[in-house]
Amino acid sequence: MSTSKGLGEDLAKLSLDIASRENATYADFRLVNGRDQIVTVVNDNSSSEETQSMGAGIRVLYGGTGWGFAETDETNDDSIRETTLKALSLARGASKIGSAVSFADEPVHVDRWESPVKKDPFDVSLEEKYRALQESTGKMKGEGIVVRRGQMNFSTVEKYFASSAGSKIHQNFTYSGAALAVAAKGPAGLQTRSTRQYMSRGYELIDELDLPTQAPELTKDALALVNAKRCPDGKSDIILSGDQVALQVHESAGHPIELDRVLGYEANFAGRSFLTPDQLGRLQYGSDKVNIVMDATPEHGPGLGTFRYDDEGVKSQKKYAVKEGKFVGYLMSRNTASKVGEARSNGCMRAEGYHLPIIRMTNVSLEPGDWNYDEIVEDTKDGFLMVTNYGWSIDQKRYNFQFNCEKGYRIRNGSIEEMVRGPGYQGITPEFWNSCDAVGDRKSWVLWGTPNCGKGQPTQIMITGHGASPARFRNVKVFGA
Amino acid sequence: MDMAQKMMQPDSLLKERAHELFRTVKDAAREADGIEITLTTGQSENLRFGNNELGQSQFGKSRNLSIRLTLDKRQARATTGRLEKSLVEKTVEKALSQARTSPQDPDHLPMLEAQRYHGLDRYHERTLTEPAEQKAAHIGFAIDLARKNGLLASGVLGTNVGNVWILNSVGLEANYKGTNGFYSLTMDADNGNQTGYALSTFADIRELDAGKVAETALERARLNKNQGETLPGKYDVVVDPYAWSETLFFLTVSATAGYAPDFGMRQYKEGRSYLSGRLGEKIMGDNISIEDDAYHPLQTGPSFDGEGYPKSPVSLVENGELRGLASSRISAHRYNDAKPTGHELQLPNPLGETPTNLVVRAKGPTKTVEKLVGELDKGILITRLWYVREVEPRTKTVTGMTRDGTFLVENGEIKKPLRNLRFNQSLLELFSNIESASEPIRNTTDFGGATILQPGILARGFNFTSASVF
Repeated sequence: MSTSKGLGEDLAKLSLDIASRENATYADFRLVNGRDQIVTVVNDNSSSEETQSMGAGIRVLYGGTGWGFAETDETNDDSIRETTLKALSLARGASKIGSAVSFADEPVHVDRWESPVKKDPFDVSLEEKYRALQESTGKMKGEGIVVRRGQMNFSTVEKYFASSAGSKIHQNFTYSGAALAVAAKGPAGLQTRSTRQYMSRGYELIDELDLPTQAPELTKDALALVNAKRCPDGKSDIILSGDQVALQVHESAGHPIELDRVLGYEANFAGRSFLTPDQLGRLQYGSDKVNIVMDATPEHGPGLGTFRYDDEGVKSQKKYAVKEGKFVGYLMSRNTASKVGEARSNGCMRAEGYHLPIIRMTNVSLEPGDWNYDEIVEDTKDGFLMVTNYGWSIDQKRYNFQFNCEKGYRIRNGSIEEMVRGPGYQGITPEFWNSCDAVGDRKSWVLWGTPNCGKGQPTQIMITGHGASPARFRNVKVFGA
Repeated sequence: MDMAQKMMQPDSLLKERAHELFRTVKDAAREADGIEITLTTGQSENLRFGNNELGQSQFGKSRNLSIRLTLDKRQARATTGRLEKSLVEKTVEKALSQARTSPQDPDHLPMLEAQRYHGLDRYHERTLTEPAEQKAAHIGFAIDLARKNGLLASGVLGTNVGNVWILNSVGLEANYKGTNGFYSLTMDADNGNQTGYALSTFADIRELDAGKVAETALERARLNKNQGETLPGKYDVVVDPYAWSETLFFLTVSATAGYAPDFGMRQYKEGRSYLSGRLGEKIMGDNISIEDDAYHPLQTGPSFDGEGYPKSPVSLVENGELRGLASSRISAHRYNDAKPTGHELQLPNPLGETPTNLVVRAKGPTKTVEKLVGELDKGILITRLWYVREVEPRTKTVTGMTRDGTFLVENGEIKKPLRNLRFNQSLLELFSNIESASEPIRNTTDFGGATILQPGILARGFNFTSASVF
């Protein structure tokens, strides 16, 4: 890995010197070296692919009014020279029609950081990975089963960042994840059960997930779902599993607190947000049980949004987005912080590979509450338990959402009773979070990983973390698919 | 010479480079009994703006060498963006090491021999060389128009050029070069409570009428002010042709199997598709036809698939009946009734074949969107659908929201704008309720990589289930 660091330092110097000579107001340079492996088994079909990529992204501010960005995967002097000049040319063009850019101060950092890993996933043989997947999918057989799918994903990412202000930051990341899905066909059509988890960890995560032991239960569920009754339509109390709460947080809390969309920079694609600056510190976003943090610090845990520095050199921080139900903070960049009166960015600029950094979620997590999971169930007279997401959709300002889960259960008088298929719920974000009256405690809290968040044009895929525990919501519109 | 043009390698150099890389791979992979390389290069420029500011101008160049090796009926793929000889050799070693420990492939076939291809002329130099100043002027026009009308313009004008070369150890050589681009624009005010949207796609940037895009977004934003409420329920609708590419994508894939392609032969035969067992069955209205046709003049991309097999047009749905499936050599080897159609993804591919060049048509004379609206006694005009996801696979029920202009139509005229609505709609039912349609246009989608030519439609009984608050 140190080879890339040396290369990064040399190329960064070359690029930043050119930017300085050409009178750029500011410039930063990132060299990103990535290695990915994906191993898949679908029914009896298997595949593996390993990908190595390295490239540089160069961002330039010119005249204090225009940004330009250019990237290349040819990491030699000539290409870096040309790419820097291209970024400068775009910045000059933008500066002609731009207005003064605000850029929050950040201390100069010279540092190095590595995400913790116990078992390098690239040291584990492909044979072992296939063995675990085939053993798992092998346990998913049964009459009516039509899909048996297992997948593992591994990445290492080495990033070198340098800025014209003098920061020099070297970070190494390791990510691992796995998913199993089984689908059965029967009287109620195709029914799916799945499990997945992705973290900033090594192969020890896969060992802990112990996929083959999860496979039979998922299969049993899928086969039961094809004969289960449809979840009835109406209004009801619901308890959501922790992985479903994590996605609810992602879509209805994480996205609307992205300050770039709040300010209109994403209006054409990702959309805007109902959490406008005039609501900051005022809006009762949720009940007093709801505390949502934006926390990229390693202390939060090895999530997909954990790092020491973001992709514009800002040190990771823990901040509240929602404190005791009140909306109090945004995900920000150096460019946008001053627009809401903040002197410093909270470090949320992230890029897929060496592409342009944009504001992204880090670890946006619902803090644990004080309810034991069993107590939440026992305290629920009449409702539904909904487990693991199947489909999700939300409007462009993040008000009206609809989620469908893979399986549900009727709850009567504090006990979990018959299974229902296709359970779904629909609501308006602040009404929904204000109806939250119980959040599971630390024991049931898991830092989940979302590996596929799309944003930007051209679209970038980002990995984000979401800590969550099961939670209860009162009087919600429910339906069956 | 413009910098963008200077940074793109000429074809002859690229061909030479592809052959040189193939020789390096071949020398390093002597143990392999089959070798295939795919060299992909691209260059893109995206001028992105928001809040009436050109804030994210981006330029990018990429190259990828993907190597597939087969060894004793096992295979693996390794890909690298670094083309230095030593790193290519290292990538070969990775592919070999993975192939050695991969399971034997029950579908193993020898590498595909040399093929003949229909030439496709999809490269337009001007798309590559159009000066950034000219493109910025298009954006400047939209921003000026927005400012004059008290609105904010946001969007992107993107251009791309892509090359692909496939070479293999039994003499196959396939290559493609093409350009494409799009201009996507939103004008809004009042924190997105008032919005209008327009989109145009092109292969040759000279096709772009940037003024028309700006005028359309403006007109819709002007109309879309002070929205009224409407009760959820079933409404007749006109869907603008640019409004629903994401919706159509979900017609062709199932969430059940990890967004696997439903119109693919292996997905179908293994029972993973919602269409499994329904060949010959009427699944849509009599007037609907869907084909996969890489050679349609509005289509994009190469005339060959992931292993270099030439694409054939396939009629997937004809007069509402499920008639055909995208297929491949593997399916032809597995199933007696399957013939290859050139729809394989890069191998090894555990999901199955996928259509890449869909053309959706409704029988009968085509009409303009204005004419379709004119035929609506009472209903809703939808200019953009958003965040579509599968709810139920058997009926292909999807949910999603309207955005950026939803209008109540009465007696063929737009009466008033409406707050955004959520729908839960079976796509099979929707395709059974289409009454008339416009000419298909080329849309763009961020999903799946297929280019869909799709018409605007007038359809009966579209199922809206709730409203948003704006």
